[in-house]
Amino acid sequence: MSTGTEREAEVYKRVDAVWTTVCDQFAFLRQDRLAFGGMLVVAAFVFLGLFGPFLAPHDPIEHTVRGGDGSVFRLTAPSAEAFFGTTSYGKDVLSQFLAGARPTLIVGLFGGLGTGALGFTVGVVSGYYGGWVDELLMRLTDLTFSLPFMPMALLLLTFMTPNIWLITAIIAAFLWKMPARVVRSEVLSVRERTFVKSARASGASDLRTMLYHVAPNVLPIGFLYTAYGVAWAIAAQASLAFLGFGDPTMTSWGRMLRQVFASGNMRVAWWWVLPPAVGIAAITTSVFLIGRAYEEVINPEIQTDQ
Amino acid sequence: MTKFQRFLLKRLAISVLLTLVAVSVIFVVLRLLPGSPFEALVTSGNLNQEQITEIRAMYGLDEPMWRQYVNYLTSLLTFQFGYSILRSQPVWAVLEPRLINSLILLVPALVTTAILSSLLGMYAGWNRGSRLEKFSIVSTTLLRSTPVFITAIFFIIVFAYNLELAPALGMRSIRATPDGYIETFASLDFLHHYLLPFAVAVLYYSGDFLLLARNGVVEKRGSEFLKLHRAKGLTEMEQLARAGRNSMLPILTYFTLRLGMIFQGLILLEVVFSWPGIGRELVLAIQQQDYPLVQAAVFIMALAVILANLAADVLYAYFDPTVSASGGGSA
Repeated sequence: MSTGTEREAEVYKRVDAVWTTVCDQFAFLRQDRLAFGGMLVVAAFVFLGLFGPFLAPHDPIEHTVRGGDGSVFRLTAPSAEAFFGTTSYGKDVLSQFLAGARPTLIVGLFGGLGTGALGFTVGVVSGYYGGWVDELLMRLTDLTFSLPFMPMALLLLTFMTPNIWLITAIIAAFLWKMPARVVRSEVLSVRERTFVKSARASGASDLRTMLYHVAPNVLPIGFLYTAYGVAWAIAAQASLAFLGFGDPTMTSWGRMLRQVFASGNMRVAWWWVLPPAVGIAAITTSVFLIGRAYEEVINPEIQTDQ
Repeated sequence: MTKFQRFLLKRLAISVLLTLVAVSVIFVVLRLLPGSPFEALVTSGNLNQEQITEIRAMYGLDEPMWRQYVNYLTSLLTFQFGYSILRSQPVWAVLEPRLINSLILLVPALVTTAILSSLLGMYAGWNRGSRLEKFSIVSTTLLRSTPVFITAIFFIIVFAYNLELAPALGMRSIRATPDGYIETFASLDFLHHYLLPFAVAVLYYSGDFLLLARNGVVEKRGSEFLKLHRAKGLTEMEQLARAGRNSMLPILTYFTLRLGMIFQGLILLEVVFSWPGIGRELVLAIQQQDYPLVQAAVFIMALAVILANLAADVLYAYFDPTVSASGGGSA
């Protein structure tokens, strides 16, 4: 029994330590107003992504907004019946906006995390080992660089039915190259520093040196690129949906923009354009601002005399 | 042979190999597509079985897969792109003007933004903590992180629809019937159509250059060589010029990489503005399953990136003494 509780205590201690580290990492949010504002936007966005579909007053696709006499409200400006106006098919823009946050959140979160994790690992391994490992991984990176993302994604999505997870996977499979290259070049300079050399000299294994001496020093840039990855994934998903290659079963902000663009109503229906466009711009910008503030706090070279 | 020459030779060989692999991936992906490329043609047109066989033979689709692959490789690498299925003219005749249209929009935009944003970024980095620095970072972050088609849509709504300063669509007005490139591009009408997409492209890429330049200067600010320059009595601007010159390498490399990705980066910009460039043509070709056109366009995009990567690596190895060309990262 006693060993059980000891283990539990140990686990708690570790969880505590991790929690403190996480809190420390986010301390920059209190210092930087822009990052704090970005965090609020992200929080609102996550809330919309989780609960938006339940908050929507109507079904975004099925429901048609009608007046008292049963006539369909087509392309009407915001009113009491539809706060954000209606589309050219008489659908409620507010409901579409609320429901459309979810695919954006899913792709952004998982696409970004996948991009960051994959790219960071490749970058550290490649930069640390050098030699043929580096050669192989970097040529693979070059390959994903040279295959143009948008056309390849469009081609893949023409013969596989687009669904949200497939789109997430395609995005991560194409975007990891960005963090990989940057992390690797950071590792190349860290690797030559004295403390890494002395760690190696004092007999630390490759794995240990990588994990405890190299990785922490390039973690900021990895985190930064994970944040960028989230923004890129959201942008890529919106772009694909805008071109008509989104998940056909889900309303997304990109798809809303496609519909208003394709229907040729952009000139009049500002209420149909603004919610999804502002939504996408706000979330991608916020994520970037947070990433940037984090970079300011963590990067000792940028901090120099302040 | 010097170290640098050996590095160069190796890097060239890698680029050739990379081109082959990329081309093969394109081949596999295209052959994985459902049905034959002529399904659309068969279902839409009134072709009988005999004609179908004839067309298949004409495009070499009745041959075994490995033969098709060899034919495909040799034709692509010799720039013989074949015939566009839906436009029934040589692929190159379709792509060449589109390629020129893209280049004439995107290259000047990239050069402009690289110069202006880098200068602004250096100035902002030198005046760390100033209003200008904060404002320039926030505004370029907004422009860089927002997908380009959304910025384009906003610009169209504001400048084309409401202020009516510039046309929203196309490269020339519908009535214009220019003959040849010079007549097409050397006209006020073209300039009028050019303004909005050019502005959006410049703004879209401004963020990266601005931040690279700004971070470079901020990192250099505390360094010893600048203390020396200050002690020598150089003015602020002269010091900045020296700090800026020392942070040029990342900017130069980034510019080269961006130049290679230029065709694929702004596909949506061309779509929104109906700019008749290679990106928009490619999207149309994918939607219409015009395979010869698709594979040629993707090949051109891939080749551009491979060449730019080569150039960036060589530049880096040549200019940066801290990255050794032979050992270490071995490229």
